[in-house]
Amino acid sequence: MAMHERKTIDLEQGWEFMQKGITKLKNILEGLPESQFSSEDYMMLYTTIYNMCTQKPPHDYSQQLYDKYRESFEEYINATVLPSLREKHDEFMLRELVKRWSNHKVMVRWLSRFFHYLDRYFIARRSLPALNEVGLTCFRNLVYQEINGKVRDAVISLIDQEREGEQIDRALLKNVLDIFVEIGLGSMDCYENDFEAAMLKDTAAYYSRKASNWILEDSCPDYMLKAEECLKREKDRVSHYLHSSSEQKLLEKVQHELLFVYASQLLEKEHSGCHALLRDDKVDDLSRMYRLFCRIPRGLEPVSQIFKQHVTTEGTALVKQAEDAASNKKAEKKDVVGLQEQVFVRKVIELHDKYLAYVNDCFQNHSLFHKALKEAFEVFCNKGVAGSSSAELLATFCDNILKKGGSEKLSDEAIEETLEKVVKLLAYISDKDLFAEFYRKKLARRLLFDKSANDDHERSILTKLKQQCGGQFTSKMEGMVTDLTLARENQSSFEEYLNSNAHANPGIDLTVTVLTTGFWPSYKTFDLNLPAEMVKCVEVFKEFYQTKTKHRKLTWIYSLGTCNINGKFEPKTMELIVTTYQASALLLFNASDRLSYSEIMAQLNLTDDDVVRLLHSLSCAKYKILNKEPNTKNILPTDYFEFNSKFTDKMRRIKIPLPPVDEKKKVIEDVDKDRRYAIDASIVRIMKSRKVLGHQQLVMECVEQLGRMFKPDFKAIKKRIEDLITRDYLERDKDNPNTYRYLA
Amino acid sequence: MHKLGRGHRDKLQQFMAITGSSEKVALQALKASDWHLESAFDIFYSQPQIRGVVDTRHLEELYNRYKDNYADMILVDGISLLCNDLQVEPDDIVMLVLSWHMKAATMCEFSKQEFFTGLQALGVDSVGKLREKIPLMRAELKDEYKFREIYNFAFGWAKEKGQKSLALDTAIGMWQLLFAEKNWPLVDHWCQFLQAKHNKAISRDTWSQLLEFAKTIDPSLSNYDAEGAWPYLIDEFVEYLVENGIVQNLS
Repeated sequence: MAMHERKTIDLEQGWEFMQKGITKLKNILEGLPESQFSSEDYMMLYTTIYNMCTQKPPHDYSQQLYDKYRESFEEYINATVLPSLREKHDEFMLRELVKRWSNHKVMVRWLSRFFHYLDRYFIARRSLPALNEVGLTCFRNLVYQEINGKVRDAVISLIDQEREGEQIDRALLKNVLDIFVEIGLGSMDCYENDFEAAMLKDTAAYYSRKASNWILEDSCPDYMLKAEECLKREKDRVSHYLHSSSEQKLLEKVQHELLFVYASQLLEKEHSGCHALLRDDKVDDLSRMYRLFCRIPRGLEPVSQIFKQHVTTEGTALVKQAEDAASNKKAEKKDVVGLQEQVFVRKVIELHDKYLAYVNDCFQNHSLFHKALKEAFEVFCNKGVAGSSSAELLATFCDNILKKGGSEKLSDEAIEETLEKVVKLLAYISDKDLFAEFYRKKLARRLLFDKSANDDHERSILTKLKQQCGGQFTSKMEGMVTDLTLARENQSSFEEYLNSNAHANPGIDLTVTVLTTGFWPSYKTFDLNLPAEMVKCVEVFKEFYQTKTKHRKLTWIYSLGTCNINGKFEPKTMELIVTTYQASALLLFNASDRLSYSEIMAQLNLTDDDVVRLLHSLSCAKYKILNKEPNTKNILPTDYFEFNSKFTDKMRRIKIPLPPVDEKKKVIEDVDKDRRYAIDASIVRIMKSRKVLGHQQLVMECVEQLGRMFKPDFKAIKKRIEDLITRDYLERDKDNPNTYRYLA
Repeated sequence: MHKLGRGHRDKLQQFMAITGSSEKVALQALKASDWHLESAFDIFYSQPQIRGVVDTRHLEELYNRYKDNYADMILVDGISLLCNDLQVEPDDIVMLVLSWHMKAATMCEFSKQEFFTGLQALGVDSVGKLREKIPLMRAELKDEYKFREIYNFAFGWAKEKGQKSLALDTAIGMWQLLFAEKNWPLVDHWCQFLQAKHNKAISRDTWSQLLEFAKTIDPSLSNYDAEGAWPYLIDEFVEYLVENGIVQNLS
């Protein structure tokens, strides 16, 4: 087909043809009887546009057609769409809008196809808005701009109806809201500014109203149930008809109104708040509380605070309970840690189990709650009961579990588990060094007097302690356990030695436990005048030991020894199990029948305290091996003693106990001394590396270094600093007395 | 007249060349500073009296007047005589200042060396001249810097030989003497507190820090910081003051 053959179409003529097509399209949209477009119709329409755009100027009507294209929409909207929308309201208006919008999109699709040639050349060349965009813009400018306010209000009122429990047409809302999105042509501005903002505002107002009523009427658990339900529903709402970008904003609004605003009021509710929930073990409600409050900013802090308070109160009550129990039975031995304290540690362990489970389950292992639990336990675990520090109580508790015939009868697994928990509790105690010292004392007793029930448990708790407190903490204890194993081997080689050296055999069975000085608690040495028989034993062992090692010095601790001796009483001969002290005292009566207090004291070379104690055990306690003159309950320096040859008992072999001296004061003094060294060492270490340091910083670093073992008191640190100044390790800076210098 | 070693002769030459002084003066300055050139310059320039005023023979006579019969030093009797000659009481603070000038190691004792250096430094060689110096020495106590020197000197001077700390009674005596100059209103409370609560010897650190405390902390304790590095004895003193209502509660 040649161009010049084509007949020029003028604007009026061409447009008239187009008008017919457009009218047909409108009729179809309005649902009037009209036949469908055939492809021929379409071809004709397109060709007409094509021709009118490709004619030579001045017959190129591109611009005019572009304008007419828009005018067609405008005309249709003004004549049909707007009037139909204007006469409808609320839901009906929404339905009409949805219908009109979908019609409009169809119209844009068709018309833009008819005018497609404009898109390809005219629009592209002049960078004008594309046909599709022009069509949609018409709707936006004329329809949307006029009615978006009404639409918004109608939608919001439907949402509110749904919140109140009515059924609404969710699909309709979804379609309406899609218009807000689509009309933005890729930008969310329309949705956000014309709908979302108002919707959020309305939501806030709605829930603010609700919350203000609920907070007055409902208990805390009910309120939380409602709040959780509301949040669930709002989330649901987003998934059904709101745009997904609204979810976060919407939930934040609801959380703010329901939870944030009333957070403290809700938590503090008198009979149902957080306190009450903890008190009544409302685990489900507490979990819900966590779920709700973890969503709002800083929401968990007050909850964890209340949790901490609650645990502290419970723990302090346990302390008080134990304190009362202890003061009720004060009449008895008050320094010996009794059953009550044992019960106390048990209860603390139970308390810890319970609230650790809360932290793990209800509070989903959140660090804030772990911290609260730790802080709460630190408060009352460091209080101590009836003059005993908790470090001592824990050590005694362990002793009771680990020793033979302790008050706790448990299976192996239960022992392991309990030990595990004790070690956990130890983390809350600031005086770990005090625990170590008490523990070592008790461990020494268990090992030396063969009271330890199970070697595996001994080693297992040391492993646990090592894991938690470090190798330094347990090195001495481990040394003690090892010492004892070595001692057993040593004993068997001693027995071999005696068998092969018959002349050396003292005629008395002797068992010696050789210990390493540094590992064990310190004991008095070489105090007692041993009876001649025993001196011989000691000599024999020394000779044997010389054969094994050359450069070791043996120091004898008689206060830890036991003896089995035969007592030849008139009724029958009996075997007495006594301490070396007691045996030495009894053996004195082989030489004389009657001895005065001062004679005994002089011959044994012991202090008054020791003499009184051991004579009391032999003459005033259950078994009266010695007769005392006068026959009273107390030992006086003027007393006389005589062997009781009439003594007898239904048993053949009896153990005469010698009550141990109270070691508590010594332990505490030892720990105090060790602390002074530890502080000195720490200060010197810090100053050696820093050379010059301010007072406060030095104190802080020192506390930090030592915190793993104990909490040093500021005054103690100060005293040590001054002592180090006197000893020329440090000096004060000449110009600034708040600063110290290290003197190398 | 002088049999000097080579090293000393060199120093003497050097000193004379630099200061332009006579041999006698140079020798005096160097001897006074134990042959340290630097300190000899200090003495020469800071105390102009030295130039030619002090006559060693006079000093020798003076020393012999006070010297103990049995030892080559001035002991208690000699010091009493000296006080008598100077018309001051033995417990006058000016005797402390004099001892400071002499760099005396111990209370109630002057070695010959100390006596010579001290008087040379003061530029006097007779009792009369020394007496004239007394008002000057009193004035030195008013000087902040010198007072501190004298105060810190007093600790070593007053303590027993071989001890690291100062006996409490002596310390209290010294404090009363020294703080009378400073008008520190808490001095009596401090002494009472020590007698009641402490009753032990005083360390050098506590001694020197107390002057700082008296100088910097006002008597109402408003600028006292419990977190500071004050010796613990001073911290306890503050607690004592508050507990006994001597100072109102710290805010």
